[in-house]
Amino acid sequence: MRRLLAILAVVAFASAAQAHQLNVFAFVEDGTVIVETKFSTGKIPVSGEVQVLNASSEVILTLPLAADGTVRFPLDVEAATGGMMIEVTTGEGHSDYWILTPEDIANGSGS
Amino acid sequence: MPFHTFARRTVLGLICAVAAMPAAAQDRPVVAVANYPLAYFAERLGNGAVDVFFAVPADVDPSFWRPGISDIAAIQAADVIALNGAGFATWPTKASLPRSRTVDTSAGFADRLIKTETVTHSHGEGGEHSHTATASYTWLDFGLAMAQAQVLADAMTRQMPAQADEIAAQAEALLSDLAALDARAAVIGGAAAGKAVIAAHPRYQYFGAAYDLAISAVEWDAQAGPDEAQWAALEAMIADTGAGLFIWEAEPSAASRDRMARLGMIDVVFPPLANSPADGDFLGQMTASLDQLEAALQQLP
Repeated sequence: MRRLLAILAVVAFASAAQAHQLNVFAFVEDGTVIVETKFSTGKIPVSGEVQVLNASSEVILTLPLAADGTVRFPLDVEAATGGMMIEVTTGEGHSDYWILTPEDIANGSGS
Repeated sequence: MPFHTFARRTVLGLICAVAAMPAAAQDRPVVAVANYPLAYFAERLGNGAVDVFFAVPADVDPSFWRPGISDIAAIQAADVIALNGAGFATWPTKASLPRSRTVDTSAGFADRLIKTETVTHSHGEGGEHSHTATASYTWLDFGLAMAQAQVLADAMTRQMPAQADEIAAQAEALLSDLAALDARAAVIGGAAAGKAVIAAHPRYQYFGAAYDLAISAVEWDAQAGPDEAQWAALEAMIADTGAGLFIWEAEPSAASRDRMARLGMIDVVFPPLANSPADGDFLGQMTASLDQLEAALQQLP
């Protein structure tokens, strides 16, 4: 599963066509939601904010990006029932999102 | 038969029919698509036996569509996920899509994709920087549209082997229609002999390249009329290119058409059809656009 997620991350980061676009990838592993961010130049955002929205587009969590461009938080199964939209805005003014569907979450949480 | 018995049987029959509908719907293969041309191709290829999932609202540019979670969940569940490729939309890079069921319909002609002008802008602390991009309205070269339709037909055949014969028959008819559009456009372009054209938006790169038309473009908002600065820029472009024909991507206001006429320009409406037309279908709309274009080009000196 970890290898599959790594491949998906590479595909997600490689797919961006623009020169310096922010790319966000998120997945669930062992009950933890992991968000990874990177510019398509390979640089890591130095600062930013992550908002997690539920299926009703309500913000259920707001977190700062860590220095390595990632965020980890425990999966709230009840809040994530209908899936999650992960939105990231960096200090440089770029933004991007990743969608986790209920199936993505179920696959990653082992349920 | 007494009326009450007839009525009871009719109601029972209706209940059975309604109860059977979801099961029947679930059994139908689903093709999820990124734009209207692919939706049209999938409808033609499926010939009523396939559900086509095209979730972009009619008033939203599919290139800038941001799907909701439920949209992505539905797309993930589709039997075939048909993308335009060529950088047409970014949403496919914002979610996990099953690789075995996802097809990039322009990947086979990556060497023919057209790079667009670099856009330079500035935001945040990064200073001025540039984006390079790829023209994405590939289907306006009807030869490339044929290639995309064939890729879609192949993907549908792989995922829906029970419908293989029907898909093959429908593909033949669809490709024939697209080939006719391609041939007609080539004749129109050939007769125009490289005459300069200006479009309201840079959508027609593949059309111009395929059919030998020198199409420059301004970037006017399809929803709003141009302002004075935009009219001035157009006048400069007309002087620079010698263009006598202007292409609108959507019906403009009467005032805009009047002003275009006062500039001495012949204008036509040629919807590129990234999203569904309000009336008609891809074939009918493209035929109508070619009719207009041919008539307009014939009026040019």
